[in-house]
Amino acid sequence: MIAVENLVKSYNSNRVLHGIDHVQQRGEAAVLIGPSGCGKSTFLRCLNQLEVADSGRISIGGVTIEGGHAPRNAEERDQQRRLRLQAGMVFQSFNLFPHLTVLQNITEAPIVVKNTPREQAETLGRELLAKVGLAAKADAYPAQLSGGQQQRVAIARALAMEPQVMLFDEPTSALDPELRDEVLRVMRQLVEEGMTMIVVTHEMQFARDMADRVVFFDGGVVAESGPPEQIFGDPRNERLREFVKRVTTQ
Amino acid sequence: MSNAWRSSRVTFGSLLGLLLLAGTPSLVFAADHLEQIKQAGVLLWGADAEGGAPYVYPSPEHPEQLTGFEYDLAEALAAKLGVKAKMVQNQWDQLIPALDRGNFDIVLNGLELTADNQQHIAMSRPYYVYTQQLVTRRETEGLTNIDNLKGKAVGVLSASVAQRLLEKTPGVDLRLYPGNVESFRDLKAKRIEAVVLDLPIALFYAKPDPALKFSGDPFAPGYYGIGVRKQDATLLAALNQAIVELAEDHTLERIYQKYGVWDERQVALKDYHPEVVEQRKSISTIRDWRTYLPLLLRGAVITIEISVLGMALAVVAGLALVLTRLYAVAPLRWLAQVYVEVIRGTPLLIQLFFIYYGLPEIGIRLQAFPAAILGLGLNYAAYEAENYRAGIEAIPRGQTEAAQALGMTRWQSLQHIILPQAFRLVIPPITNDFIALFKDSSIVSVITMVELTKVYGMLAMSTYDYIGLGLMTATIYFALSYPASIFANWLEKRLRYDRR
Repeated sequence: MIAVENLVKSYNSNRVLHGIDHVQQRGEAAVLIGPSGCGKSTFLRCLNQLEVADSGRISIGGVTIEGGHAPRNAEERDQQRRLRLQAGMVFQSFNLFPHLTVLQNITEAPIVVKNTPREQAETLGRELLAKVGLAAKADAYPAQLSGGQQQRVAIARALAMEPQVMLFDEPTSALDPELRDEVLRVMRQLVEEGMTMIVVTHEMQFARDMADRVVFFDGGVVAESGPPEQIFGDPRNERLREFVKRVTTQ
Repeated sequence: MSNAWRSSRVTFGSLLGLLLLAGTPSLVFAADHLEQIKQAGVLLWGADAEGGAPYVYPSPEHPEQLTGFEYDLAEALAAKLGVKAKMVQNQWDQLIPALDRGNFDIVLNGLELTADNQQHIAMSRPYYVYTQQLVTRRETEGLTNIDNLKGKAVGVLSASVAQRLLEKTPGVDLRLYPGNVESFRDLKAKRIEAVVLDLPIALFYAKPDPALKFSGDPFAPGYYGIGVRKQDATLLAALNQAIVELAEDHTLERIYQKYGVWDERQVALKDYHPEVVEQRKSISTIRDWRTYLPLLLRGAVITIEISVLGMALAVVAGLALVLTRLYAVAPLRWLAQVYVEVIRGTPLLIQLFFIYYGLPEIGIRLQAFPAAILGLGLNYAAYEAENYRAGIEAIPRGQTEAAQALGMTRWQSLQHIILPQAFRLVIPPITNDFIALFKDSSIVSVITMVELTKVYGMLAMSTYDYIGLGLMTATIYFALSYPASIFANWLEKRLRYDRR
């Protein structure tokens, strides 16, 4: 489902990703952990082309892009868009569209991008809102919602494009602790439904409970990767051991 | 008791008088103004040298020096008074109010000796006999006197005798110009069919031009006189004496010959007998608002049309500019940026002149109305582009990223996500600009549009009621711009999506 080969990314002279390889099967949930600045968010943003990698190859759901340059022509732009349509993205800061209602936030992209008829998009939108527990908020504006509610709308918005893969970029970091659970609950539900997911997070409990695989990023490389029992119970990498000790004693 | 009351009233009255005198020193020494001029050694004469040939104009060989028959006349008059002459530049149609204000001692600039002009100021005996001349393009036939001009577009100098003459001729499409050069340009550009003006001007500007011709005989003779403030009686007497002397020793003839404006009619100067000018009652335009308000409102309609259409153009063209500047390929992007900087860095007045008088030279002839809209619209487009840019750049990056992550193209995310949010942000600055444009629109009078401010100026010049008309005009401007800000507030509230 996801295959990344030798992904390299620098900002100016500062190399952030030193050749990442990552393969993931359909239905697998991967959780990316690691100290801040280790490159895990950059990796996620490269996957759906918000950042253009310097080199390497990204393949999601059968759509492949060779890194190295921003799209130069209509054909390459089209390919980039097709890759993006394979992956739904949830941002740390929600990034809901403030001028649209909750329902419009969800239906806008299907209508504009996929030419879905409005009624059909709205039916799907209401189903998704019910799924994230916000059916009553369809006509509210984002500013009228709590952070946790906004993030659940953002998840529904990404799901409305029916992506093969869901990418979560620290989805609970901007939330007060009491609002995190409602978002994590929705994410657990998605894992249980067999959604292929990559989650960048500091929620170690979520990683332990829900991940099929935990990937430890350190200094722009994958330092260690494996099932949660191994990563948290028997870490081999020295830095991972320190990291696990630090996050579990917190 | 009653004595005390009376004496206190006298004291109060003289105090008030003193205060008034102290506030207006020119009144105190009214009788001695000639003495003041002699003491200062300078006679300040007001005139308009812009397009002022052959009266007074910058010498073609030495542009830093003035020349012209009135320039020479001023020198000769000053010599008679034993002082030096110094010209003070002032827009022609505002010479009389400026004299009233005390900007200079006399007006010497083709001021016609008419009852209208003598309502507010005194005038000397004539120094020149002028006539009106009709000028057309070389090939035009049949426009030989003003009765043929019905239904034709005819240019005149604003506030001139020709304007008053043609206003009494029904059915003429009268165009008012601030100077003498512009009307001939428009005549050649076929925007108008004829120009009526004082013969000396025609001799200088139209006679040498092979594309133009004098059509019909000179008509409606009249006199030029020197304007002085009414209280400056001794100065007036001295000027009259000087004019008589200059006529008798043939100085006038010599000067007029030098500039090619001498003719047989000038002999009549000697036989001039002043007529008693009947002083009209001063006009209160506010009391007579039924007459004046409709005239002002007719000007206001033009102002509204120009402002609304100009702003509509600015809003659309500004959007095109900013999208080009932010998202187009490199050379177009630079062009858009250069456009914005050049337009913002040059005066609107020059842009209007360029569009109206410059473009016909490369074959683009716009009538005044579209030229005014184009000029204002293209000027404000640069400012609107900057407003939009500020609005677009104020939208957080995350909005574009979210739209792109959902698979939208750059254009789709602009259209559905970024611009709708940016529009709301730019409503206040765009409304401000609309109100500013609304008031800036008065500048289009320089390309012959008679809008609200121009109507005000014309009426004020004929009635001298600057205050009454000014209040009415300001009220109209305010009554029109205030609803615009109310509407903008309402729109802004309506589009607010971050209510809790």
